[in-house]
Amino acid sequence: MFLALKEMRRAKVRFGLLIVAIGMLVFLILFQQSLQNSLLRGFTGALRSQSAPVLVYSTDGQRTLQASVLTPELEGLARAADGVGVVGRIGQGTFTVTAGGSIAEASLVGYDTVGLGSPEQLDEGRLPEGPGEAVASAEDADDGFDVGDVVTIEPGGDELTVVGLVEDAQLNVGPTLFVTYDGYVAAVAARNPDAGTPLPNALGVAPADGTGPAELVASIDAQSDDLDALTRDQAADEAPGVSQVRQSFQVIFLLYALVVPFVTGLFFLIVTVQKSGALTLLRAIGAPGRRLVAALLVQVVVIVGLGLLVGIALYTPLTVISATALGIRFETTAVIGWSVVLLVLGLVSSLLAARRVLAIDPVLATTGVGLR
Amino acid sequence: MTATLELRAVRKVYEVADTEVVALDHAELTIERGEIVALVGPSGSGKTTLCSIAGGLLTPTSGTVNVGGQDISGYSPKQLTAFRQEKVGFVFQAVNLVPFLTARENLLVVDELGRRTGTAARRRAEELLDDLGLADRAQNLPAQLSGGQRQRVAIGRSLMNEPDLVLFDEPTSALDTHLGEQVMALIRSELNGRGTAAVVVTHDDRMSQYCDRVVRIVDGVLTQ
Amino acid sequence: MRLALRELLRRPGRFVTATIILTLVAVLVMFLGGLLDGLIRSSTDAVRAQDGDLIVYSSTAQSSFLRSRIDADTRATVGAVPGVAVSGGLGLVQLGARVPGNGPRDLAATALFGYELAPVGVPDPPGPGEVFADDVLRADGVEVGMEILLGPARSAVTVIGFVADTTYSGQGSLWASAATWREVLAANRPDEQLGDDVFQALVVRAADDADVAEVAAAIDAASAGATESLTITQAVDAIPGVEQQRSTFNQIIGVTIAIAVVVVALFFALLTVERLGLYGVLKAIGARSRTLFAGLVVQALVVTAGAVIIAGGLALLLDAAIPPGSIPLDISPRRILTSAVLLLGAAVVGCAFSLRRVLRVDPASAIGTIS
Repeated sequence: MFLALKEMRRAKVRFGLLIVAIGMLVFLILFQQSLQNSLLRGFTGALRSQSAPVLVYSTDGQRTLQASVLTPELEGLARAADGVGVVGRIGQGTFTVTAGGSIAEASLVGYDTVGLGSPEQLDEGRLPEGPGEAVASAEDADDGFDVGDVVTIEPGGDELTVVGLVEDAQLNVGPTLFVTYDGYVAAVAARNPDAGTPLPNALGVAPADGTGPAELVASIDAQSDDLDALTRDQAADEAPGVSQVRQSFQVIFLLYALVVPFVTGLFFLIVTVQKSGALTLLRAIGAPGRRLVAALLVQVVVIVGLGLLVGIALYTPLTVISATALGIRFETTAVIGWSVVLLVLGLVSSLLAARRVLAIDPVLATTGVGLR
Repeated sequence: MTATLELRAVRKVYEVADTEVVALDHAELTIERGEIVALVGPSGSGKTTLCSIAGGLLTPTSGTVNVGGQDISGYSPKQLTAFRQEKVGFVFQAVNLVPFLTARENLLVVDELGRRTGTAARRRAEELLDDLGLADRAQNLPAQLSGGQRQRVAIGRSLMNEPDLVLFDEPTSALDTHLGEQVMALIRSELNGRGTAAVVVTHDDRMSQYCDRVVRIVDGVLTQ
Repeated sequence: MRLALRELLRRPGRFVTATIILTLVAVLVMFLGGLLDGLIRSSTDAVRAQDGDLIVYSSTAQSSFLRSRIDADTRATVGAVPGVAVSGGLGLVQLGARVPGNGPRDLAATALFGYELAPVGVPDPPGPGEVFADDVLRADGVEVGMEILLGPARSAVTVIGFVADTTYSGQGSLWASAATWREVLAANRPDEQLGDDVFQALVVRAADDADVAEVAAAIDAASAGATESLTITQAVDAIPGVEQQRSTFNQIIGVTIAIAVVVVALFFALLTVERLGLYGVLKAIGARSRTLFAGLVVQALVVTAGAVIIAGGLALLLDAAIPPGSIPLDISPRRILTSAVLLLGAAVVGCAFSLRRVLRVDPASAIGTIS
């Protein structure tokens, strides 16, 4: 311990640079972890936080609400499937709106039955009670979507008053408004008077007693090839783009995570070789090899630990500042998980250096070859 | 004829904590062309400091230093670097050679860092290697050479730039008596043949028989 | 210089390890860059390919096709603006395509465009019921001559050829005549159907001597603010997500380059410490600090260049190995070159860290310090 720390104090620059390198790597890993999570939330948060256990799309919808359309025939088939308990219609569209004085793009999700398409849990306020009210995504509260604000659909001027807020419920990474089905229909009509009554985009279905969501999905799918039923989690996981995002980030994490042990390993190997003289001396005067290896490992733990602290210190303020812009949050599980992984990788990478330490022959101290 | 080396009233003082350490006190030394002078003294006597000043590695606190007619006492570090490139050769006690260069390349590195004469340097290197009996070891790395052979390569390197003065810092301390005498004999013949002057720092009196003169130094003071 | 290179050749061991690390970093930089390029291209190629100077949307559309409407009157107004040479209508509908041979729920995501002015690389509008398909749809099993069924209404279109680099929003595009598009739109999206002379946007070619920015302003003025005219570049940047993706990715790439700087700095700091004795000797025999430092920089550049070359090869392999449709990766020579330049710059900056150490080496240290 004494040796380990003394050496580091005497060579602050070298060890400092290593800590900085690890710190930046940790920061990037954590930041991108948060980015991935926030992207996934932004695309599919609404699906995960709405209340219907099973969602039924039309196959043509390709697992997006917007593109899915259920004809009366398809709706009838779905309702008639075995194991169906309660069914509610869901309508969704993307609208240009004016909120907080500026123009924005917002997704409207209309549901006709509370508990099937409505947000599961509100963070503020209440559910809408009529066509002119809406629950908004909490992330956009500061942009004119707060409780009490009025949002205007363009064109047409249809107005919605925000009466509640819900977190982690965005669709398409933007402001999302949950309205009653009537409210949704009214908005569509206001925007395009030629449109006619829109067909529902999806159905929210609760299974009947004794049926599980998976069974219900199979039963509805069996009714028609044009019906695509999914459990709530499946709907979120299989939304377009989700697997792409996941796969891309996997490659990224793998590469960054590899850099840490490589840099650490190389550093400690070089440093060990450079101080082989001093190490030979210590072995000659009786220090057990195990002691020297322990000192090395202590250094690795301290360095990686400090690097983690630096990385987390860089990451934390970002999660506070960009909270609204990119939705980056402090992901405690990720921080703990990565800390463990990187610590282990760092220790493993220093094994080469440890081997070098153990290979030192103390007799070399006498012939002066070990000493420069 | 101008002396190769002239030190006049040279003083070197170091500030250590709050006290002054006088490494060299009013040193006076003249070395003629082709003269080989042994500088003998115990450790800490200031012989290294004197050598460094004579070779343009250190600037004296006061006094004048004249090498080959050039007054280098007031030279800037850049000027000293250029001076060393042209006028002086060094053979150090240890870490003389570049470990990843062959014997030949260790001689050529002088030309690469300085004048860049190309073919002329290569010819000179071959001559020196021959003279020093290293022709068949020219392709070897220092690790593949014996202590004596390494020392000979270092001597060759010190002569590459045809210097006026070569400074030897304990050239035989790492060698046994027989080998040490061989090296000293070699130094003598090489330098005499070229008219190059030398200062050989040593604490070994036996080696001084190969030199023209012995200068003793104790606690920064010369006695000749 | 030669000294530095000789050291690289004679003692490759630790330089090789540094090269491995820098290769990892370089692959990261190229992968991130390629991901950014791929994402943006797959979102925007269809717009980028338009052979015109301006895209005209309705002003309330927020530059989105789906919310934009240009009717016949507006079109006439636009056509009458001085500086406008030709205008062509453009419309879009996004539908799932049933491709023969694929499962019942295994639809290909397509974006069907109705067009009048042919985009770059796309032939003039085909006949009724015919489409050109973007290359990426080959991965979904689409072939020339095949009839595919679009949307819930199963509108049949026949693929008569393939085109390249025209994807939109990550989907493979289909290029059809305006009439075909309107039919398909009306059959599949009754609530979004459009009248016969209505398009979602216009592609405008300005007259040869006209200033594009002025024409854009003139169009919007003539329509009394009902239109929003954007240059192709502006229209591309306005596609949702593009700006944000760019800035996020570039920041991440920036920090990664900074990591490369630190890695180089660290590695050469370690090496310099080890070579202090050697530097002392070299300085004693007359080497200038400049020469020694230049040698250091050369080594850093060689190591980095090696890393970049290997990384470039790996990145291209990765690009080839990734099946189309999984990760939107586009490793272009330009991206590899940009990454290379950035990393070589990082190497030089990283070296600067050791500059002070090299300068500070005292040639006098070569003499007699051992005893």
